[in-house]
Amino acid sequence: MANKIPEESDGGILQKVALGIERAMELCIKKYSGLVWAIAKRYVRDHSSAEDVVQETFVELWKSAKRYDPAIATESTFIGMLARRRAIDYARKESRRPQLEPLPDAEALTQLTTEPSVTVSANGEDVRSVIKQLPDETQKIFSFHFEQGMTHPEIAEKTGLPLGTVKTRLRRGLIEARNKLQHLGAAQLSNSARS
Amino acid sequence: MSNQDIIQRFEDLEAGRILGDLDAKEMQEWEDLSKDPRCRLDPSLELVAAAIEAEFSQDEEHEIPDGLLALLREDIEPFIVPEGDEEPTGAEPAEEKPILQLSAWKQVVTAPQTPWAIAALLAILLVANLFIQDKAPAPGAAAAVVATEPSPEEARDIMLASAENLIELDFGGTESYSKMTGKVVWSDELQEGYMTLSNLPVNDPGKKQYQLWIVDPTRDEKPVDGGVFDIPQGEDTAVIRIRNPLVITDPKAFVITLEQPGGVVVSKQQDVVAIAKAS
Repeated sequence: MANKIPEESDGGILQKVALGIERAMELCIKKYSGLVWAIAKRYVRDHSSAEDVVQETFVELWKSAKRYDPAIATESTFIGMLARRRAIDYARKESRRPQLEPLPDAEALTQLTTEPSVTVSANGEDVRSVIKQLPDETQKIFSFHFEQGMTHPEIAEKTGLPLGTVKTRLRRGLIEARNKLQHLGAAQLSNSARS
Repeated sequence: MSNQDIIQRFEDLEAGRILGDLDAKEMQEWEDLSKDPRCRLDPSLELVAAAIEAEFSQDEEHEIPDGLLALLREDIEPFIVPEGDEEPTGAEPAEEKPILQLSAWKQVVTAPQTPWAIAALLAILLVANLFIQDKAPAPGAAAAVVATEPSPEEARDIMLASAENLIELDFGGTESYSKMTGKVVWSDELQEGYMTLSNLPVNDPGKKQYQLWIVDPTRDEKPVDGGVFDIPQGEDTAVIRIRNPLVITDPKAFVITLEQPGGVVVSKQQDVVAIAKAS
């Protein structure tokens, strides 16, 4: 599989990137450019703008790699977060979703909110397991949104659900997934303490 | 609405913000609630959204165009540190906070008071203890882990000596800050810039902090955050590094405001301190 991110990739590349090591940056591009490109294409339909998203995401990554904390998130989550922010920003400008108001500057928000209530250093298996615990319909909507990059109206049309229901299920699903990961993290810590 | 209702409503809106589906009314509601001390902004939902997105991406083929790959490789050049000049591993500039900090203890504190939670706390303490034991530097090794990042003055001078096509603008203080003078230098290529500021009043970081805003119409109609900073006692002239989380490509103005500690997402511009504008 091209550009597949191996589980063992986490821990190390971004720390070397933060030191300005060229080969680490090249390795980072090799491992994560597919992920960033996939996210960019999902949200931004214009090919040239999607390429800009990828370039800007990596420039931001080179600048912010030293702020990455492996105890909080995996490298792919951290990079995915940067890519999503940039892509949503572009999508907004592209007026692909004209019903939306401009989002606040997500980067500025994280500077004000430095302590997440849950870490997302869970491996891919945990994330998949949590998604599978969600109601079938939510899983389907997640797939349309996160995998196929469909807009809310597109999902509503595809599923026949009212737009408001799509919106609500996506939001609730995200909150539920976060809560389940939180619970999973606490359980893992408890098991470690007992073993 | 009870406190719990308000917190839940804010969480719902925050999920909508991350998913990009807030309408105008909800956006206003989110902005109002985000100022409510009961509603704590929490990046965990955004991290989970990114983790899910990354996980879904695992199953697909994503061949990046060759031309784009070449551009990405070109883009790394300004960020490469020549061998031998790297900071020691783990050295973090003292003034730079991580975007996201470890707060696993909060999970335990906020969890129901069950044996699970107590066991989790013990686990964290155990891991922390092991970490400290493993990572404690040997006597005499302290010098090897001291960060060697240049001071803002040195970094500015390095940039001035090496960067081309610099943007240089003079700051002018507003009415209440008319004695203030200063200059901003910015490199689009390096995405790096510095302000040299004189006669700016010392601030109490616990009460107010200065915040820089960058006006770049090519990126957004709204000014972009350029970072929060302080003017310490005893410094007539301060050199401040610009900390822009977003890429700036064509800055037309730099504006300093005085804001609440930690800065704000959107400035009401109640206390504009100084402006540097391109003619």
